[in-house]
Amino acid sequence: MADIVLKDVSKSYGQVEVLDRVNMHIKSGEFIVFLGPSGCGKSTLLRMIAGLEAVNDGEIHIGERRVDQLPPNQRGVAMVFQNYALYPHMTVRQNMSFGLENIGTDKAEVSRRVEAAAGTLEIEQLLDRRPAQLSGGQRQRVAIGRAIVREPQAFLLDEPLSNLDAGLRVRTRVELAQLHQRIATTMIFVTHDQTEAMTLASRIVVMNNRKIEQIGTPMEVYSRPASRFVAAFVGSPSMNFLPVQALEDAAGRVIVKAGGVSIPTTLAMSAAPKSSGDLTLGVRPEALRVAEDGEVNGRVSLVERLGDRTLVHVTLPDGTEVVGEDIGKSTLEAGRDVSLKVEGSEIHLFDADGVAYHAD
Amino acid sequence: MIRDKRSEYLAALVLVGPFIVIYGLLFVWPTIQMIALSFTDAPLIGPGEWVGFENYIDILNHRLFRNAAWNTVYFVVLTVVPNTLISLAIAMAVNRLKGWQQGFVMACFFLPYILPVSVVYLIWNWIIDVQYGLIQYVVRPFNGGEPMSLTRTIPFFMPTVAAVTIWWTLGFNVLLFIAGLRNISPEIYEAASLDSAGRWRQFRRITWPLVWPVTALVLTIQLIAQLKIFDQIYLFSIGGRQDPTIVMVQYIYKLAFQQNKGGEGAAAATILFAIIIILSVLQFQALRARGQK
Repeated sequence: MADIVLKDVSKSYGQVEVLDRVNMHIKSGEFIVFLGPSGCGKSTLLRMIAGLEAVNDGEIHIGERRVDQLPPNQRGVAMVFQNYALYPHMTVRQNMSFGLENIGTDKAEVSRRVEAAAGTLEIEQLLDRRPAQLSGGQRQRVAIGRAIVREPQAFLLDEPLSNLDAGLRVRTRVELAQLHQRIATTMIFVTHDQTEAMTLASRIVVMNNRKIEQIGTPMEVYSRPASRFVAAFVGSPSMNFLPVQALEDAAGRVIVKAGGVSIPTTLAMSAAPKSSGDLTLGVRPEALRVAEDGEVNGRVSLVERLGDRTLVHVTLPDGTEVVGEDIGKSTLEAGRDVSLKVEGSEIHLFDADGVAYHAD
Repeated sequence: MIRDKRSEYLAALVLVGPFIVIYGLLFVWPTIQMIALSFTDAPLIGPGEWVGFENYIDILNHRLFRNAAWNTVYFVVLTVVPNTLISLAIAMAVNRLKGWQQGFVMACFFLPYILPVSVVYLIWNWIIDVQYGLIQYVVRPFNGGEPMSLTRTIPFFMPTVAAVTIWWTLGFNVLLFIAGLRNISPEIYEAASLDSAGRWRQFRRITWPLVWPVTALVLTIQLIAQLKIFDQIYLFSIGGRQDPTIVMVQYIYKLAFQQNKGGEGAAAATILFAIIIILSVLQFQALRARGQK
């Protein structure tokens, strides 16, 4: 168990910069999720922590040691690869014991640790099989088992659920969360799936375009996104964005104006963006509810019934598409006029640079 | 999709038919004829009398046959395993290169393979020439400062031709090994490096077992090819004593085409045919079993 500290870590391949001065402090026992779109550098960052990619600049510390110049096996980390990277010619038992044998662990100890890990992951009956004889979910467990037996200071998981089918992915996600609670070791998990990030993480590191956009708990990232990118990337369906102007009401709060409609918010004018031009209002579908006295009027273009709630796609008079929410038993249909009420305490404003200001 | 069984059958027949006809005409029928011929005292051209197993008994008692069999085995030992190991080593080295460098080096190793044997013979005959051969610079210090003909000194003949053969044919094996090595996912090596496996352990525990099916294939192809060795041995021994370095196919050639003994030649060919089939099947089975272990 150890803290992992990244100081000004940069990476480039020739002229192409992949990561630009990344800083991070991961506390011992945390479940950290690197979240971001493809190509944002999250897997590269993980591989740099593992020692599989060289660090061009900056420092990586695991526990008390600086490790960025050490080979992978001396960093005390174990990795679960996206396609598991099991040794195809070895049995599950051999796959799990290979790393321990390489460092000269005695046989009884190897066997004890393999049995214990197999017990934890409920794969005892698979120990004498080869990877080709296992299902995707079983391979995934073996890959995790191979990491567990080494008793590492941190687990690095590179999109480990992406090759599983939908149902299995959800189950494995739950099991992974339970495993983390049980062994309480630092885990760093890379994914582009925001549901995985929200459900698993102690803290999420949202990455975009070579940089960290935000580090925060899932709820912080969701309800107080640091930037327009984070706001758009996290949450499904995505946040609605409308170009607006900010005005001040009598109580010193911001009123946003868009297309002739004024929406009162709880955001203090003093905390709002200084320039009132080029502002964007961000409001999540659950803060944009179908109501008779709503401020925003439009026509329903599509209704998505999810059972517990209904997503209503509405076209505003200026042609903008927004998504609002209605109750599960909504009677709305496409083509009907509808009005939406904005929950003023749950709005976000973004300035021209994408920096966020929150009503709450 | 459900298809008409009969039309499927017909399509298969049309596609496979030409091959079966040609294979039957050019391989199966001549083979049967050869076996039949081996039981007669026929000359090279024309019929002969049935003599039963006499040809086989005669041949097995020939000193020259035993000489040829021994030389062939010796040549196989000198080429098959060394060629395979050298090819694997080169393939692993080439596999570490990237981009155009890899293509260039691979082409360099493959180039000799496309040369006809006569050209290979001329190149190497020039290199090993007693008077002006480059190789004499290496030979002289080991021979008391005197040059030596490697193909006219019997103990050196087989090793020399074996070395030339390896140089000539390894390009193809390198290619097969590179294909095999590329099949191993780089992530497996990354996992191994996290698992504290050093270079040698990665080779022994990962590369070697995973590339084993290709190794088995290369060994088998090599075994068959070298049991049939003729060209290089024949060319390098022209103008010298041929009998001490004779190999099986050369022996068959001598019986049939130089001594006009069609029946005995066919018997020797049948023996070689049987040896090749038995050895290659046994070897391939043994190698496969090892791979599955």
